[in-house]
Amino acid sequence: MVFPSIEFAIFFPIVLALSWALMPWPRVWKPFILVASYGFYAAASPRYCLLLAAITIANQLGAVGVHRAASERARKWIVGVTVAFDLAVLGVFKYYGFFTDEIGGFLDSIGLGMPLPLLTLALPIGLSFITFQAISYTVDVKRGLLPPTRMLDFAVYLSFFPHVVAGPIVRAREFLPQLAKPRDPRKVAVGAGVVLILLGLIKKVVLADVLARQVVDPVFGVPLAYAGPDVWLAAYAYAAQIYCDFSGYTDIAIGIALLTGFIFPQNFNSPYRATSFGDFWRRWHITLSRFLRDFLYIPLGGNRGGRWRTARNLMITMVLGGLWHGAAWGFVLWGTVHGAALVAEHQWRYWRARADAQPDSPGAAVVRVVGRLFAPAWVRWAVVFNVVVFAWVLFRAESLTLAGDFFGQLFVSGPATLWTPVTVAAVAIVIGFQLLPERPLERLRVAVANLPAPALGLALTVVVALVGATVPGDGVPPFIYFQF
Amino acid sequence: MAEPDPPHDTFAVPDPPPGRSGRARDALLVVWMAVVLLVAFQGGAVRAGAEELAPGVGRDIVEAVGGPTGWIADRLPFAEPTDDVLARLETASGPAAAPAGGGDGGGGELTLLVTGDSLAMPLDTELARRFAGSEVAVERDAHVGTGISKSGLVDWSQLSRRQVRRFDPGATVVFIGANEGFPLPRVGGGGQVQCCGAEWQAAYAERVRELIETYRRDGAARVYWLTVPMPRDGARQEITRAVNAAVEAAAEEVGDGVEVIDLVEPFTPGGEYRDAIEVDGRERIVRESDGIHLNGDGAAVAADLVEEAVARDRGDG
Repeated sequence: MVFPSIEFAIFFPIVLALSWALMPWPRVWKPFILVASYGFYAAASPRYCLLLAAITIANQLGAVGVHRAASERARKWIVGVTVAFDLAVLGVFKYYGFFTDEIGGFLDSIGLGMPLPLLTLALPIGLSFITFQAISYTVDVKRGLLPPTRMLDFAVYLSFFPHVVAGPIVRAREFLPQLAKPRDPRKVAVGAGVVLILLGLIKKVVLADVLARQVVDPVFGVPLAYAGPDVWLAAYAYAAQIYCDFSGYTDIAIGIALLTGFIFPQNFNSPYRATSFGDFWRRWHITLSRFLRDFLYIPLGGNRGGRWRTARNLMITMVLGGLWHGAAWGFVLWGTVHGAALVAEHQWRYWRARADAQPDSPGAAVVRVVGRLFAPAWVRWAVVFNVVVFAWVLFRAESLTLAGDFFGQLFVSGPATLWTPVTVAAVAIVIGFQLLPERPLERLRVAVANLPAPALGLALTVVVALVGATVPGDGVPPFIYFQF
Repeated sequence: MAEPDPPHDTFAVPDPPPGRSGRARDALLVVWMAVVLLVAFQGGAVRAGAEELAPGVGRDIVEAVGGPTGWIADRLPFAEPTDDVLARLETASGPAAAPAGGGDGGGGELTLLVTGDSLAMPLDTELARRFAGSEVAVERDAHVGTGISKSGLVDWSQLSRRQVRRFDPGATVVFIGANEGFPLPRVGGGGQVQCCGAEWQAAYAERVRELIETYRRDGAARVYWLTVPMPRDGARQEITRAVNAAVEAAAEEVGDGVEVIDLVEPFTPGGEYRDAIEVDGRERIVRESDGIHLNGDGAAVAADLVEEAVARDRGDG
């Protein structure tokens, strides 16, 4: 079930009303919200509910086992087995097809043309988000950061319908305390929740889907059919589309959670205003960035152990982060580009520090010249933004061949057939709004959030109706991040 | 990402967003007010939306809700003016037309429309790649999740007329049939017929014939209709056989201007499903893991057949 759908429009008002009606009685509310969340998830396929239940049981057993284990060795083993189970589930469903194709292709190329058996393994929706949250729970219990909770609470945490299909990746330590006592019906962030839902709907259905239909899908489908001006537009349009698509989804998810009384962490913070790659990753998909940091980068050694180990750890983290998005070489390359950029930033900081310490060394003069070149914030922004935009091409293209075609067409002269007022305005609005000063926008958002409930209801009606009008006959295209 | 792990209390319950706190009843008021207003102004959309859903519990629920909401909206005077306003917005957000002449800015001599359901999607890209820069301008207009036997918001009869008006195609490639098997009105009236007997095939063929006539444009354009290779799933195979038989019958009835390009024999010889076939002397996987769609290599094989047919009809082959 997707948020902008008729099914959800029927599901949510009923669940919201019953949820608040039952909230004072946790023994009734928790089973209710669990059943509602499984019902929401089952709309994609009822079979996936069994997998969700299996992940829940395995990780709860692991967490309880870790908590009760007497020795550190036993605790490590239990966590290892539990995390291996989670990764195996992810590996089979997400990467089986990729490795089958690659190995089959390799065997074929050396004359052993024996295609490996294909299996119909559709990726259960939201599986990556579910397994990451499950891993965070078990590992945090092992680290002593939280005690194991009751099975019912853990099941509610993992399946809670606002975040089950595409995040944000809410850590157990953020969510479980909110289950400890009923949410206070006198302290609900109604205005903020409605504003997020409105923004999310506009971002996804109006901006992202219009850009996809009018620019991105045609050009990325057949780059060779378009000349440079359209291909440049498509690159920036995709940067705008993926931001609106994913941040739009999480805005709606966070808004819906707020209306039900729960608070989720922020997932996006104007990522295209970043002036360094580290800054970008503190603004883009924040909950994934911190998961990768806490469960991969730091366990690998983080920035302890010198420049080269830091560079290695950054590259491993970003390449695996790329691979997390999907089993394709484009994602691996995309992660590699970001990893290399982060390594370059670290190296630059090292050179700067050395130049400050040894100002008379020959290298110091070069560092000072380059430093002056990149001193203005707008230069750093332009470099980071454009690298991010063109790295997205690797992420979006259906194959490396098509990505190559795309880059090749950038410098082919020809007409600008897709530059319409609608497409150009959509790109400019999405990117331009992120560059505006933050405080006036925040004040505007708070002013709208503080409107009385009937005005918010009217605004929601108008936006839902307008959004419905821009949906094509065959429905809202799936959110990009559903596939991850 | 290089900063050390933050202190643990960073991951306590996040702060609520800025803004005044409300009450749970305000949340319910906002949501239910929107529901009531939307039912009054757009209640018919729920009923129409149900027709687009695949059969199952979800569709049953939406149908059960859509009946009363549609009934209410029908009796109120708001639906028509609202639809007029919203239709203007829908037009403004429609898909963009591809550049003519393969992006070279010149006018292509032939506009080739490639359409259908999700089956058409790897094929349309492959054909557009092959014809890029040639005198054939490829327009891609696939409609995922739709079907000829699946009416509702996407009615292929209406859609085909809109496509002809918009793209002005000199030839059309149709590859559709992944979402069929829905009941159809019996030819000559008298209720609905279930898939996949002779009556259903006749009803389906009638719809296919109507589409072919639309795309043929009174003989001014060519139509290439691709049959559907057998899917892996047994239940789907029965539907696919009925769809293919209906397509053959409709094309035979129309006669001139339409060519059925058979994909059953090349991909599933003898009607037997297989993942891989021999391509250029080597065994290659040509199907997606769902056992329905063609993958990139499969689309290339289908594109060979389409390209050959187009070249033959243009006198290039």
